[in-house]
Amino acid sequence: MSLVVRNLQRAVPLRRARLREKVQAVRRALGVQRFDLGVVCVDNRKIQQINRIYRDKNTPTDVLSFPFYESLKAGDIPQPEFPDDYNLGDIFLGVEYIFQHCKENEDYYDILTVTVTHGLCHLLGFTHSTEAEWQKMYQKEKQVLEELSRHTGTRLQPLSRDLF
Amino acid sequence: MLPLLRCVPRVLGTAVAGIRAAAPSLPLLQPASRPCARPFGLLSVRAGSVQLPGLLRPWGPCGCGCGCGGLHTEGDKAFVEFLNDEIKEEKKIQKYKSLPKMSGGWALEVNGTEAKLVQKVAGERVTVTFNINNSIPPAYDGEEGPSEGQKVEEQEPELTSTPNFVVEVVKDGSNKALVLDCHFPEDEIGQEEEDQSDIFSIKEVSFQSTGDSDWKDTNYTLSTDSLDWGLYDHLMDFLADRGVDNTFADELVELSTALEHQEYITFLEDLKGFVKSQ
Repeated sequence: MSLVVRNLQRAVPLRRARLREKVQAVRRALGVQRFDLGVVCVDNRKIQQINRIYRDKNTPTDVLSFPFYESLKAGDIPQPEFPDDYNLGDIFLGVEYIFQHCKENEDYYDILTVTVTHGLCHLLGFTHSTEAEWQKMYQKEKQVLEELSRHTGTRLQPLSRDLF
Repeated sequence: MLPLLRCVPRVLGTAVAGIRAAAPSLPLLQPASRPCARPFGLLSVRAGSVQLPGLLRPWGPCGCGCGCGGLHTEGDKAFVEFLNDEIKEEKKIQKYKSLPKMSGGWALEVNGTEAKLVQKVAGERVTVTFNINNSIPPAYDGEEGPSEGQKVEEQEPELTSTPNFVVEVVKDGSNKALVLDCHFPEDEIGQEEEDQSDIFSIKEVSFQSTGDSDWKDTNYTLSTDSLDWGLYDHLMDFLADRGVDNTFADELVELSTALEHQEYITFLEDLKGFVKSQ
């Protein structure tokens, strides 16, 4: 189904087609290509605003996920009854924040891939509020990124690596 | 030069209701002291400049004593006074006294309400054309009172011009232009709610001959309404590589708003001169 990419910012030049290619690869690795997904690229001001409104944290961040299915068990793939429910939700990418924290030897689009993987895992019910939950999420991210690395030759590390 | 006939005109709606408030209601034809004032339908516009046949010939100098032969009603006087104030206010709030420059080396040509931005990028000529007429979306209903908690003396939101714009790309030595019709989102400007629309979007894409002055409807036109999103993203990247990106779109809005305001003030001045007719 549809992957919709939106670029609401001008802080960082963005190659939409390249980002799309990366997100499609992550969707395939997670087995959720048949679900609609929105990826919205925003700057620090916007992601900080969303972070403040929805998480009460007045600070920019790298990614915020808004799941369509809010009570999904970690790792479960939704089984919708109706075509309109083939939707995972939206990922807001703080592309300016990600760019600012990107190290010199890191490829920006690789970091975007890692961040999208983390965001997509959140849409599929994974969380990292407890160590046990974090373990599950970390393993899932690692599995996806290893599959991507097999195709691209890169060695991508999960975003949740240092969270616990 | 391809005309902007493909651009969908936007309804001006209540956008003008803000600072550009309606004239106070006065009787339109409050006659001057002398009983020679003509009915509205028999107005002579420029007194003394043409031979008017029959009934349209002025009966004599205007009742207000200016001697111009035009119709000067009490309503006209009030209108001119209103316009004086309006012009003063508009000039006071004018953000740019001269048109803002676009970054990225774009050359600007203005012909009335139509503006053209031109740039040569390594063997290609890129032209962006837009018209400021009907380019201000309705931002709010000016007739509503202030919302709860809003101070009465708070500034009304600025009117912003977001015209449709047409991008033409011509490669050197070719008579074929790739033409992309682009729009700004239709939602109301100034809202603080989350907005997930791109800053601008491509609506239609077509090839046109550079030699033809008219848009050819017989050339295939790609509509992006049901377009593959991957192809759409490539088109947006194509434009970005030629300087038509989000920064460009934001600056175009500034330029268009400034030009529209300038034209509006000029129009008010012309209108004042016309009504005064002296």
